Amino acid sequence: MISLNVNNQNYSVEVDPATPLLWVLRDILGLTGTKYGCGIEVCGACTVMIDGQREHSCVFDVSSAAGKKVVTIEGLSVDASHPAQQAWIKHQVPQCGYCQPGMIMACASAMKAGHYGNEILSEMKHICICGTYSRIKDAVREL
Amino acid sequence: MTMTTYTSTLPADEIVATLATQKLNRRGFLKFSANGLALAFALPMIGRSDDANAAITTQDLANAYIHISPNGTITLAFGGAEMGQGSMSGLAQILAEELMVDWTQISVAQALANPVISYTTGGSSAVSRRYTTLRTAGAAARELLVAAAMQETGDSNRDNFKADNAKIVYLPDTEIWWEYGELASAAAGMTLPADLRLTNPANFRLIGKPLPRVDIPAKVDGSAKFGIDIWFPGMVFAAIKHCPTIGGTLKSMPAKPSGAIAVVACTASNTRGSVIAGSKNAVAVVASNTWLASRLAKKMSVSWSLPVSTANVDSAQILTYAQGQLGSGVALIAEPLPPAGYTPQSFAPVIEADVAKAIGTPTLDATYTVPYLAHATMEVLNCTVSIVYSGTTPVSCEIWAPTQSATAVATNAALLTQLPASAITVHTTFLGGGLGRKIEQDYIWQAIEVAMAVRKPVKLTWMREEDFGHDQYRPLALTRVKAKLAGGKIQAWSYRTVSQSITAQRGRLKAGSIDSQAIEGAIHLPYELGNYLVEWVPLDTGVPVGYWRSVGASINSFAVESMMDELAKTAAIDPFTFRYNHLKSEDARALATLQAADLLSSSWRKQLPAGHAWGVAISQAFGTWVCEVVEISQPAVGSLRVHRVDCVVDCGTVINPASVEAQMQGSILHGLNATLWGEAVFKAGIATKLNFNSNRVMRVSEMPTVRVHIIPSTNPPSGIGEPGVPPLAPALANAYARLSGIRIRKLPFFANATMGGI
Repeated sequence: MISLNVNNQNYSVEVDPATPLLWVLRDILGLTGTKYGCGIEVCGACTVMIDGQREHSCVFDVSSAAGKKVVTIEGLSVDASHPAQQAWIKHQVPQCGYCQPGMIMACASAMKAGHYGNEILSEMKHICICGTYSRIKDAVREL
Repeated sequence: MTMTTYTSTLPADEIVATLATQKLNRRGFLKFSANGLALAFALPMIGRSDDANAAITTQDLANAYIHISPNGTITLAFGGAEMGQGSMSGLAQILAEELMVDWTQISVAQALANPVISYTTGGSSAVSRRYTTLRTAGAAARELLVAAAMQETGDSNRDNFKADNAKIVYLPDTEIWWEYGELASAAAGMTLPADLRLTNPANFRLIGKPLPRVDIPAKVDGSAKFGIDIWFPGMVFAAIKHCPTIGGTLKSMPAKPSGAIAVVACTASNTRGSVIAGSKNAVAVVASNTWLASRLAKKMSVSWSLPVSTANVDSAQILTYAQGQLGSGVALIAEPLPPAGYTPQSFAPVIEADVAKAIGTPTLDATYTVPYLAHATMEVLNCTVSIVYSGTTPVSCEIWAPTQSATAVATNAALLTQLPASAITVHTTFLGGGLGRKIEQDYIWQAIEVAMAVRKPVKLTWMREEDFGHDQYRPLALTRVKAKLAGGKIQAWSYRTVSQSITAQRGRLKAGSIDSQAIEGAIHLPYELGNYLVEWVPLDTGVPVGYWRSVGASINSFAVESMMDELAKTAAIDPFTFRYNHLKSEDARALATLQAADLLSSSWRKQLPAGHAWGVAISQAFGTWVCEVVEISQPAVGSLRVHRVDCVVDCGTVINPASVEAQMQGSILHGLNATLWGEAVFKAGIATKLNFNSNRVMRVSEMPTVRVHIIPSTNPPSGIGEPGVPPLAPALANAYARLSGIRIRKLPFFANATMGGI
């Protein structure tokens, strides 16, 4: 049994300890806001915060998350009120929307670290195929 | 911010069942009372992606409806696919306009997709080709509500009633008014008047406004459900493992690995469910979670049978073969049309000789090459299937799929399960990108097979390596253009393109006929080309090919607009001026688009910093003109920095300018990725670039500044999802030639190009 705290809720899961956190969130806990994109920590779709740090959940063993505070897109705010979420709505950023939870989590964690504007953008190595980059720039630069 | 909402359930699912059985009246409507007013109608079915030559057809059964409930809820049932292009919102925007309701007063529901109500999303057609139908439907619902108010007052003078803000107001006494909901049930019994009083476009309140999209709130908080997000307790998870070699089949069934729930052999499904007789080309491993299933699949040893021909699926071999076909393959003439008494075949030698004579020694003779390309939608292919059994007999089948063609999903489910259509339910989820790949049915077919084998609800997922390695790729193409210049004008033009036909590979191209998609972007050019011909040589290879955003236009515009630039340089004429000098007088929209791009970019082009250069290209696809002007620099050898792209678009009447802008921004990124790095490579039957570490794509910090200018227009709306892609590649190549003197005629640009950042 592995004990997890996700979005301030405690869970116990019985799973191979080497299972990436991403798949525990998605397939076992049913928290599907965190996305699978590449499985090799390149695209960033799986980004979550673990003890406030940005992590690629696709390569983060679930056993290593035990005892830590995991925040996913579902737990970033209760009502989409996080400034990054509000900026994303204001600038109508998402197209297909699939990469956006990862983008927003990366942005939120960079904000938490006290970063701004271009600094945040340079840190976001995430992949979007729809081409929302233009609007992400607009959204991030006003945060 | 308030906005209209997206709901995942319909107010009255029984409406869909009713639609299945009743025909529309001769005016194209079916109205009935269903807890309020339901007005059903038929949105045109678009066959663009199914069949190269399909026209829009209308049908006598409804596939959409508006529902107005007694409590005033107004819902548009949406039967298409929302994959980021905004059509779910665009359709509601058109309806709200004529219904005289505010944007916050209408909801959009994804219809429970079934063969009745769903349609294929493709061809940049979702909104533009349904504009008139939706306006008419909105107006019809409004006039039925007015008729109900007329009955209540006993006043039959239509001019005494005004529909406004979801109310009908009685003008002689404005104290008398009704909410739409109050009239909805009575409206269902009214007769549709002859005059539907369509709104004068000059008075539009909503059409043409940048309204917020309905699907965006759910896409910032993790609540939007894509296909891959379908989850319920008790379901099992499957990962697919294809024969790594394209064309290979399963030799023997592998043993079930320890830890797996099952291993299921899956049928090789060429596209859209047409099956290669009896063969299996993949196995699915079923386990308690997707990661476990994929790990077991990866480690499992499977023996495959590899026909000798699979070795021919090889990039180097295919290129050699295509070069041979470019020289000596039998061509079909696409333009000019054969005169009476000739077939495309018999006309070929005649026009070829004629144009060859006019060209003599060509001024320029260049061959342009574009590679196979993968789609790489961010959401990998996946499908969830739940089949209910009575004993060993299937009773019902429910499917959740990120699909551009729910109709095809339902058809395949009926084929496999042998269930009647009424026992099959298909939910179209949000699509994490479609790009043409999710029209295909291979992943759907596999998921149904797995669900039938394990008799449990199952979600089948393709890991990213399977997604890149078993795509239906954008075809490779080689194009040779020969042109004769004299006095700065093109006197003759010979255009010969060799490419694989998507339609032919699916067995739907009549022998000896031209695949219209293979030549789009090469014909109906806006230029005077003197004595000219456009010919296509079909190429038959084992690489599975499919529809990639903008299809043939992405191939041909690169050759046409690169050659135009090369000719301008040879003639020592400015690229804009050279194009103006060749525009046909009847192509006023091309001229206006080019002029607007010229004007938009003129100030920065005049003040370019040292080491910077610009390039321009224009093209028309799906009825929409797009001109792009790019600015680049090269900080170091092998690197490139794209600073800006100015984009001018004429897509006729604009429904939502913010959506047009988003589609242009997206198309430009799509074009940049393809031009700079995009290439699917095959070695002895195996795709070699299988994840994003070997398929470079642009990051946010590298994105150029994009400005989009939309030409105001009262022409009918045309597509916006794809037409922004084709001009990017030639505009970039033209800029690079100006910068470096090096003409890039083979894409991708340079495989290891690095990008400058912010």
